[in-house]
Amino acid sequence: MKKVLLTVLAILLIAPTFVFAQGEKEDENITIEFWTHEDANRQKLEERYIAEFIETHPNVTVNVTRQSSTKMIELVQTAFAAGQGPTIFNLSINDEYPFMDAGLVAPIDYEAVGYGSKAELVDAYVDGMLDPVTVGSDIYGLPLELTNWSLFINKNVFKDAGLDPETDYPKTWEEMLEVSKKLVLRDGDILTRRGFDFRYPYYLESMVPMVEQLGGALFNEDGTEAIIGEDAWVSWLSYMKNWGPNGENLGSPTYKNARKLFNSNNNDIAMAMTGLYQEARINNDNPDFYNSEEWMVVPFPTFENAVKDVAACYYGHYYMVNSEENEATQKAAWELIGYMLSHGEEYLTNVNIIQPTKALMNSEAYHNMPFSDVFTTDFERGHVVYFGANSTEIQNLLRNAVESVMLQDESPEKAYLNLKASVQELIDEE
Amino acid sequence: MSKKTKKYSIEQKEARWGLLFTIPCVVFFAIFSFYPIINAFITSLTDAKVLSRTREFVGLKNYIYLFTKDNGGFSLANSMRATLTFTIGTFIPMVVISLIIAVLLMQLRKNKYRGFFQIAYYMPAVLSSVVAASIWMILFDPRGLFNQFSNFILLTSGKDYGWLVNSSMLQASTMIVYFWKYIGYFVILFITGLASIPPTIYEAATVDGANRWKTFWRITLPLLKPTVLLVSVMAMLQCLKTFSTQYMFHQGGAARQPIDVITMNIYFTGIRNGRIARASAMSIILFVIMLVLTLLQFKASNSDDVEY
Repeated sequence: MKKVLLTVLAILLIAPTFVFAQGEKEDENITIEFWTHEDANRQKLEERYIAEFIETHPNVTVNVTRQSSTKMIELVQTAFAAGQGPTIFNLSINDEYPFMDAGLVAPIDYEAVGYGSKAELVDAYVDGMLDPVTVGSDIYGLPLELTNWSLFINKNVFKDAGLDPETDYPKTWEEMLEVSKKLVLRDGDILTRRGFDFRYPYYLESMVPMVEQLGGALFNEDGTEAIIGEDAWVSWLSYMKNWGPNGENLGSPTYKNARKLFNSNNNDIAMAMTGLYQEARINNDNPDFYNSEEWMVVPFPTFENAVKDVAACYYGHYYMVNSEENEATQKAAWELIGYMLSHGEEYLTNVNIIQPTKALMNSEAYHNMPFSDVFTTDFERGHVVYFGANSTEIQNLLRNAVESVMLQDESPEKAYLNLKASVQELIDEE
Repeated sequence: MSKKTKKYSIEQKEARWGLLFTIPCVVFFAIFSFYPIINAFITSLTDAKVLSRTREFVGLKNYIYLFTKDNGGFSLANSMRATLTFTIGTFIPMVVISLIIAVLLMQLRKNKYRGFFQIAYYMPAVLSSVVAASIWMILFDPRGLFNQFSNFILLTSGKDYGWLVNSSMLQASTMIVYFWKYIGYFVILFITGLASIPPTIYEAATVDGANRWKTFWRITLPLLKPTVLLVSVMAMLQCLKTFSTQYMFHQGGAARQPIDVITMNIYFTGIRNGRIARASAMSIILFVIMLVLTLLQFKASNSDDVEY
């Protein structure tokens, strides 16, 4: 009995030594799981930044996971659900907001990201850019990129259809329909060349502004009523129905993403809606086309009877840090984010993504970017995309409404009623 | 008092070994199937959300919601319709045609031909469902092989049959992919069943003057009853659990409503929308549906043991 007692006491005596030794080891060796969406140009830069960061922080290991932006939304959600969220991640703000709402992301460590104080950080960014990630007195994310979309035009396709791209490009959605009719090529009913097609998974960013142009809104001012302005929503849904295979047959969500086709200049798409980053991607995928001056960017169209001039919503991909990590890991994560984001001008020139600091937006590098003036004007015409605890669900419901009119031949009136009832149910549940 | 050595019969000894061998399987089932079922049931009685670290007991609220509300535009009723349509449209042809193919393959005299066809039919089953769906998305594209084939067969030109657009065609497309992927698996099961029927029975039938048609209906099919039951239950359960084909098609731009099978609704409700409690309730409902349909099938088949 004595022996057993002595053994237990000895174990109890030694155990804390091991436990603390383990703790010290954890402090020394930090592993950062860094999840981000794919971008070949950005990847090259970030690989270099991470290597440089590790040189100055030899105790830090960074594991990078890259997936498509749509896949990343699901991966991050699933990982957090299992309590295995990444240390650093970035998503579009409307997908990130639920994580802030649930308290799963940590407030910024201002010193770690390279600013003396919160005031210094806020002052460095363009007004309002940190509002979406500000809750109470804390800020929870730093923008990797601020994106808005304008219209990219392939001049070759316009010329092939006997149009002058400089004058015939669509300024209104009605013109978009007419110009697209002239641009499409068909084999019977089958589209072999499209004039333009929408960014189908991104309804909040690109289609809600179309409704707003017609006088509609996602919510009323106090947020108690959803899908405001029946006429505007029905008109927009009618437009989409007319665009699809059951109408003029100019495009469909089932065709390949227009933005991805645009770069190859294969005479299969004339126009695509995308951001400044597309320029770097064209250069990367097809430098001949990039240097040919056979493409240009024009403003986001409006409806002829628009009551409001609204361009596509801008959205930010914010770097955020998992609040379930220990303090040392959170600090190292913010240091890494701060280090990467201290290269704003290189991100702009190499990847064509905008980190909306005052310094960058006023820099020569930004003003010298091809068509940056178009994006700036559209940025001023637009507003930040809707974000809230239910933004992912609302995005799905908008998708369902568009699919029902375009693919299932539902009447716009019925699709509107279904959409209104479903979104209303969501906000009532809150 | 002397210790009595307990004597076991050979059968009892075999049973003990049998029990020993089944323990790993039972443990595996308990951890990976039974525990998740219990866990899902408990979760379904709470208001748990994916990103929330707290939960409260809400009783049957999630079940009542699913049967009375439309789950934000994607109702359980529509998912049950989509699942049943898919299951009936897939598993019945799959069982019938896999049986026919198996019988035809058994007629081949040379084993090497039979082996070749078995491998050829089985190959899609080893392909990842995601890869399979991606390949079929290309085939169902308006410029793809299926639309061209439809135009050729129906003597039309440039018609878009809307394989991924039209609601009925979209449902049929998912059925075709599933059928193609799993038919080989069930063919192999039937071949195994057919091979276990003693050839002496066929020889006796031939001596008695039975032709092939009669032999099939009077000997093969009755003696194959346990295999038919096994295959039909397995095929039905697999069809009820279908997910990746529908998911990939929807990711590729196809409308969700027509192919919103219960598993896909569970995924979107639980993972995309974060309503894990509601999704758990849906998965329990799916479990009950599968259980009831399996019991019905066992009852309907009236499967007595077949003895040769």
